[in-house]
Amino acid sequence: MRERIFVGFVYVFLTLFALICFIPFWIVMINSFANEALIQSSGYQLFPTSFSLDAYAMLLSGNQVFRSYGVTLFVTTTGTVLGVLLTASFAYVLSHPKVKYRHVLSFLTFFTMLFGAGLVGFYILIANWLGLKDSIWALILPYLLNPFYAFILVSYYRSLPYELNEAATVDGANDIHIFFRVIWPISLPVIATVALFYALQYWNDWYLSLLFIDNYKLHPLQMMIRQLMSNLNAMSYVGGSQTDYNIIVPTYGMQLAIVCVTIGPIVFVYPFVQKYFIKGMTLGSVKG
Amino acid sequence: MKGGSGFIYEIVKNRYLYLLALPGILFLLIFAYTPMVGHLLAFQNYRLADGLFGSEWVGFRNFEFFFGSKDWLRVTWNTVFLNGLFLVFGLGTAIALAVLLNEVTGKWFKKTAQSFVFLPYFISWLVVSMMVQTMFSSTEGMMNQALTTLGFEGMDWYLMPGVWPYILTFVYVWKIAGYNSIIFLASITGISSEYYECARMEGASRFQQIIYITLPLLRPIIIIMTLLGIGRIFYGDFGMIYAIIGDVGVLFPTTDVIDTYAYRALRQMGNFSMSSAIILYQSFMGLIAVIFFNWLARKVDSDSRLF
Repeated sequence: MRERIFVGFVYVFLTLFALICFIPFWIVMINSFANEALIQSSGYQLFPTSFSLDAYAMLLSGNQVFRSYGVTLFVTTTGTVLGVLLTASFAYVLSHPKVKYRHVLSFLTFFTMLFGAGLVGFYILIANWLGLKDSIWALILPYLLNPFYAFILVSYYRSLPYELNEAATVDGANDIHIFFRVIWPISLPVIATVALFYALQYWNDWYLSLLFIDNYKLHPLQMMIRQLMSNLNAMSYVGGSQTDYNIIVPTYGMQLAIVCVTIGPIVFVYPFVQKYFIKGMTLGSVKG
Repeated sequence: MKGGSGFIYEIVKNRYLYLLALPGILFLLIFAYTPMVGHLLAFQNYRLADGLFGSEWVGFRNFEFFFGSKDWLRVTWNTVFLNGLFLVFGLGTAIALAVLLNEVTGKWFKKTAQSFVFLPYFISWLVVSMMVQTMFSSTEGMMNQALTTLGFEGMDWYLMPGVWPYILTFVYVWKIAGYNSIIFLASITGISSEYYECARMEGASRFQQIIYITLPLLRPIIIIMTLLGIGRIFYGDFGMIYAIIGDVGVLFPTTDVIDTYAYRALRQMGNFSMSSAIILYQSFMGLIAVIFFNWLARKVDSDSRLF
């Protein structure tokens, strides 16, 4: 009897928690299709009684959403590809027993996790010394090497048999060859995991654009969400110069619509990447 | 070849490997170590026009200024208090989730539940902030609708500093717990099933198995996760807090953390030196926290230290 109460509790708790996780997504999605007047008069609804595509029509009528999508796509793909290449090759050297200075390099990497440079130095470096203010590279370069992801890879490389390396060396391959031809293919599952981590970080980041991007033409999607949330003149931001004072701008609806547009791709790839993430987290938690 | 020319010899011998590491090394030098020079600004009266080497040195005046105002106590307390809440409830919920998910036998239910609790991890803090608004905005929010339906008065949540530490904790747990639970779930899966078989033979209930087997065996990973959290106790989550609170000054008494405070000093007041002093204080306290708690953990349980 007590066992059954316990099992019942397990299912009730998990169902409730899962529901709480899901409901905000539902509210955002369903209300993005609600009539603006309905939201204004009776607030967000769990099951709205009206249906309207105004918010999406308005959002897609201007250029901003396409521009922002382009920026985010470019930043995410470029950042992920470069980040993974850089991190994977760096981590390989950190894990390589032949490298005498691997401990020095590891410590230098680890130390940046303990003692940060801080906002000011970082800001001056990007904005003044590198002159990257209002440049798309300011959104890409700073995240190329994440020490934490590097150590995930290091602990994986360490688990590989060293004979792989020796066999290739005997065949006359140099280390760069060995890395890309031998090591890379067999590390694909972990590399895919790290790639997903990077992609998610780039897709969701808004800190860098908040600091360095003032030009709205370079605003990524996240910055567009922020602008729409704080900007009452949503119309001019989204639609450019065309302004018609007779229409009600669906401000609330547009805020929700842009959120849906932003998380759309993530929710679609989510079922496919979930198992990779779980695998990657498991590897990471083993800790090197 | 030996001794004196060891460095050059090593580089030449493994030139291809060092070539592979070169982009990473350059990255660390440029993006992690060069900006540390910025800490020097804390001891200057920095002016953009004069640059780092032309500005006037003022010793500890920026620190006197920072510690002279009551702000430093407030932001330090807020940072530590919020992180404390996040740590306790975040880990607590993640552990509970992992343990309970492990008890589920139905494959379909387990997979579905896991997908849902994992979902919030994938979205940005700005999207979360939008969701928080749909809940707590005073006129359209679901909270106030629920309150009025039940016959209570709606509240102006964004004018009530007292409740935000708890709202933020709830939001944090909502976003992170599912993701963290996977780490714990992975360690639970690693526990040998013999322990449980033995316990069942002795007649232990499933609840007792959790208390006497699962939790004790999770101890090392729980300690490591706690250490990681404590090590970052002086770092506020800027992406989260600034997204949700933004510049709503009414809420600063309970939600302004060191990072948001330093950000405003830099971007809104343009005071580079002040901001630098705050950040240096933060980095220093952070370093001490990591070293101290690592030492403490080594005393308590020598296997559980970070380094």
